[in-house]
Amino acid sequence: MTDENPYQPWIAKIISIKEEASGERAIKTFRLEFQDEEVKKKFTFLPGQCIMVSVFGTGESMFAISSSPTQKDYIEVSVMRYGKLTKALHLKEEGELVGARGPYGNSFKLEEWKGKNILFLGGGIGQAPLRSVIDYCKDNRKDYGKIDIVYGARTSRDLCYKDEFAEMSKKDDLSIHLSIDVEEEGWDQFVGFVPDNLKRLNPSPENTIAITCGPPIMIKFVIQNLLELGFKEDQVYTTLEMRMKCGIGICGRCNIGNLYVCKDGPVFSYDQIKDIQGDM
Amino acid sequence: MEQLTLPKEKLPELLGEIGSKFELVGPIEENGFLAFRKINDPKEINLDILLSRVPPKSLIFQQTETLFTYAKGKDSKVQTPKIEETKRVIFGIRSCDARGFDIIDPVFMGKKEGDYTDPFYTKRRNRSILIGLSCNEPDANCFCTSFDDSPANTKHVDILFTDIGDKYYVEVVTEKGEDLIKKVSKIFSKATEKEGNIRKETEKAAIDAISRKMNTEGVVEKLDKMFEHEFWVETARSCIGCGICTYLCPCCHCFDIQDESTLKLGGRVRVWDSCMYEEYTHHASGHNPRPSRMNRVRNRVYHKFNYFPKNDGIFGCTGCGRCIDYCPVNIDIIEVIDKVKEVNV
Amino acid sequence: MVENKELIRVVEETVSRDDVKYVVGYKRGTYGFQIKPAFAYSAKDAKEFFYSPLCAKNLATYPLLEEKLPLRRGEEAEHKKIGIVVKGCDSRAIIQIIQENGLEREDVVLIGIPCKGVIDPKKIAKRFPKQSKFVDVEENNNDEYILEIGGTSHKIPKDELLSDVCKSCEYPNPPLYDILIGEAEEEFQPEHFNRVDELEEKTIEERWEYWEKHFQNCIRCYACREACPLCYCKTCMADLLEPQWVRRSVNLSENTAWNVMRAFHLAGRCISCGECERACPVNIPLMELNKFVEKEVKEMFDYTAGLDTEEKPFLGSFRPDDPEDFIS
Repeated sequence: MTDENPYQPWIAKIISIKEEASGERAIKTFRLEFQDEEVKKKFTFLPGQCIMVSVFGTGESMFAISSSPTQKDYIEVSVMRYGKLTKALHLKEEGELVGARGPYGNSFKLEEWKGKNILFLGGGIGQAPLRSVIDYCKDNRKDYGKIDIVYGARTSRDLCYKDEFAEMSKKDDLSIHLSIDVEEEGWDQFVGFVPDNLKRLNPSPENTIAITCGPPIMIKFVIQNLLELGFKEDQVYTTLEMRMKCGIGICGRCNIGNLYVCKDGPVFSYDQIKDIQGDM
Repeated sequence: MEQLTLPKEKLPELLGEIGSKFELVGPIEENGFLAFRKINDPKEINLDILLSRVPPKSLIFQQTETLFTYAKGKDSKVQTPKIEETKRVIFGIRSCDARGFDIIDPVFMGKKEGDYTDPFYTKRRNRSILIGLSCNEPDANCFCTSFDDSPANTKHVDILFTDIGDKYYVEVVTEKGEDLIKKVSKIFSKATEKEGNIRKETEKAAIDAISRKMNTEGVVEKLDKMFEHEFWVETARSCIGCGICTYLCPCCHCFDIQDESTLKLGGRVRVWDSCMYEEYTHHASGHNPRPSRMNRVRNRVYHKFNYFPKNDGIFGCTGCGRCIDYCPVNIDIIEVIDKVKEVNV
Repeated sequence: MVENKELIRVVEETVSRDDVKYVVGYKRGTYGFQIKPAFAYSAKDAKEFFYSPLCAKNLATYPLLEEKLPLRRGEEAEHKKIGIVVKGCDSRAIIQIIQENGLEREDVVLIGIPCKGVIDPKKIAKRFPKQSKFVDVEENNNDEYILEIGGTSHKIPKDELLSDVCKSCEYPNPPLYDILIGEAEEEFQPEHFNRVDELEEKTIEERWEYWEKHFQNCIRCYACREACPLCYCKTCMADLLEPQWVRRSVNLSENTAWNVMRAFHLAGRCISCGECERACPVNIPLMELNKFVEKEVKEMFDYTAGLDTEEKPFLGSFRPDDPEDFIS
């Protein structure tokens, strides 16, 4: 990501690794710090933007930045162990070096949304980009109205950021509504899918922006339910995902219709994508 | 624009002189087809075959490119390889192939503030001096004229040569071209009006010899209305999913990026990729947004005849005819577009 | 001689069967000597079917290209047959695939064509360049091809345009078919595939130079693989990332690895249709590799691919008398 070569990543050190979810669908949050002081100083991003993380010798993949830009010393990515790159990344230890270039793509319009209520609807690893926005809103709490976080995963083991939610729920300036898909011993919160939890909570669309991110099937029903609750199409935001290689709009692979998710996305309002013609 | 002529028998002398001052690349016949190669002996050059099998885009957007190298082990030292910037002459490029660069320039070199620039493409593009050669006898599947182009178009090259019998008619188009001509000018003569007329007639005859035509009028709008049409299933039915149409296309620019390493040194490498492959859009999760040939063939046609026009205001096709010539199952893009126009929506 | 009327009648009849999804055959292409695969979903689609010595393409690849997309809830997988027009080698491809359990015999209806050999598209395009309209070719009883261009009739000795693989074909008649169009061709004594002999006469260094010259041109478009009816692995090793057997870099080393691996993978499986060589956009003489391996397999193990659906695949069988002298 030098001025001369946009494909060349900066070197970043993994300063800490947190295990968010264990088991088959393990998720780890990697805290990265750029090694070059200049880069560290200059690197800025907005919530919703992505970063290309390299494991040298394996490759690179695009991830949503899951930390908030209000946190200037490091960036974080939360990664589910899935393919070649994520498996290699999960084998990395604290202190090891990786590559990172970015930030890429557009962002959530948090400036525009000042004064509005924000409703977050996340599922599984889809919470990662939402976490960036949530932390940003927490750090600028007076700028936003009521904040509701609806988040669910398959099992309690798959829920990310559990300790952070526990911390947040100690204060009363935002509401957290967690769920898991099936009954589990010791679980005293909602059991069921995120779209159902949304229906149960019945939030008012009045002066509210809804942001949803998660598996495609969840997004589909969340949006359906939001519209039923009276949300307008331009009040609903989501992120889209495609396989990426260059991240800078050249390699041609992440197109949905004539839009490139890497630079025209990943954040879209439902209004923008409802009629989009493209393979998703 | 300076108009000169060069007696045909002096071409080897000219190329020899160019070759002594610049790196010279030109078309030579090899294994039964034409390929752009570094020219050591001007006699190797073949100007009889019209198009190189692999388009000369490969000279600038190389099929394999090392984006950077990294030292393996703890220090991860990352380095960008040096890209040669001294001028290089590409001789004998045809109008359609030269126009291909004009089409993909905005993709690699950016078109608006904030766009990224690909340094590999940009530097090679800037170092290249294109000497075009007009096509006097177009091939069966040539249809450059369908895109307001001509087999003797000066617009996409720095210098254009046209065979007018015993001489080449030479048009010096750009400053880059002028600089080159200055260095080798002694060999040329000023063109006469008569020679200019022969050149015009030659171009007209070549245009008249192009028998295939693609009618692109209204195709962008039509495609907007037929994304979900059964037509795409029918069109893709015979596709076997090879990459010939994309790899031989002067406008296809998609690529893959992979890490390749030996024990000591690693490199991040970019290679041409093709949207015709199943693996191209396959997510790590197993989900594939384009799971069938229908999705992939449709994407190719839309990219060229809908997305390119929407994003860059130009069709992603030069009419070179290679995808028609070499498709193993005769998926003919002219026929596809003709049929698109016939579809009822 | 294949009567097109008879072919069309058989295709109509086949596609009209309740258990047949579609029939794939040939139709006239858009220019020159190009044919294209034709798909009949109903009897009316059969009208454009035809057969001529231009119909080189091996259509056996189509049943394997059928995408098995995930079914929607309540949707049931379709178990219908695919009708295929097959020449001798195409039929052998189907036999080989059935032998390997890639297809079931009842998955296909084979419309057999007794083949007199097909024209090499590269040879004829070179002989008659710049044909922007379709030109059909007929074969007479005098071993000549007859074609008409711009009102002029041309007679070309068959030998000059015939595909090299056809010259050494031992099985012009489909060994397996459901319906045969016309009469079986008389068996003839095939020529030896002499391109392999020529190669074997060269020294190792010369051979290496020869292959180097060709492999360095490979653009790894994988048209050879996609056109080959026997390259039907769900995931090709060339596409695997974990582990990565062949790198994506296009250079002599990786290109050689790819082409040699493919040739090995076809040992005892290649049925000599020549489809890979025809599809290759950079003229790599792939059939020389395949024919060489075929010859070795024949000499050492007396095995011929694609003749009997019940036979065990070559590399999946062991006989106590298999030669072992290559193990030293």
